[in-house]
Amino acid sequence: MADKETVIGPETQISGEVRGEEDLIVRGRIDGKVHLTQTLTVEKGATLQADVDVRHLVVSGTLVGTIVASESAKLTSTARVVGDLASPRVIMDAGAAYRGRVDMGDIAAARAAVGSRAVQRPAASEKPAIRPAPPRMATPARAVIAGKTAAPAAVAAAAARPMAAVSGTPAFASPPAFPRVAGAMGAMTPAWAKKKIRRR
Amino acid sequence: MANTVIGSSIVVDGEITGEEPLTILGTVKGKISVAQSLAVEAGATVEADVEAQTVTVSGRLTGNVVARERLELKPESKMVGDAKSPRIVIADGAGFKGNVDMDV
Repeated sequence: MADKETVIGPETQISGEVRGEEDLIVRGRIDGKVHLTQTLTVEKGATLQADVDVRHLVVSGTLVGTIVASESAKLTSTARVVGDLASPRVIMDAGAAYRGRVDMGDIAAARAAVGSRAVQRPAASEKPAIRPAPPRMATPARAVIAGKTAAPAAVAAAAARPMAAVSGTPAFASPPAFPRVAGAMGAMTPAWAKKKIRRR
Repeated sequence: MANTVIGSSIVVDGEITGEEPLTILGTVKGKISVAQSLAVEAGATVEADVEAQTVTVSGRLTGNVVARERLELKPESKMVGDAKSPRIVIADGAGFKGNVDMDV
């Protein structure tokens, strides 16, 4: 067995993470993540549903995911690609179908964001990638609800306070926490509301 | 060349399923389920539960193996885990630790 190239055949699926320091040719399917220091070739008929971080990328098949190619990315005429693409050299042949954002500039920032998929502002990309994203996605929805309910909650808490004072310490300890949380959410609402509008 | 080959510097963490022969020279962790043959070549490391028609191990395999037809441990191979197959061949020099079930 001499040096064999790595091939994922047309009848093979991988779900999970593929890492390596050699060329990888995909004729089948990979779901998950691909991290290579060399060339990734997605052949015609192949499907990749994965975040991709490679040196060179050649796509002739279907690729869905966030893409970072540190040297070049080529979409041939049969390519079908959806996802943000960061690479200093991007080649798109006539016939290639692509939807997403192309960034030929800051590859390091894009690479940091591959895991999180949340690149809304420069501050976001400076932070470690994986953690900040989920709260960011979750906050606006919650903030809107909190903003709506903040006033009634405060009234209810104020009404509850005298009763709590009478009934004792455990009940007294919990109600003040409620308006404080609602207040914190409420304070965040304008920033997020503005952001949402700006994005649209 | 319709087969699948996992090269020596490749690490797969997850599940591989397929209908064609699979050759592993690198590292696979997780689960392997192929309809045809699986070859774990010398230098390869597999930490996975394996299901295949025939399994040939020349490298290192940790996990339970179900080979529907045949399991072969070549010399220099190391395997830890339970083996279930109607035909099991263990060559002189192979290392094996685990249960053998030949469905007798």
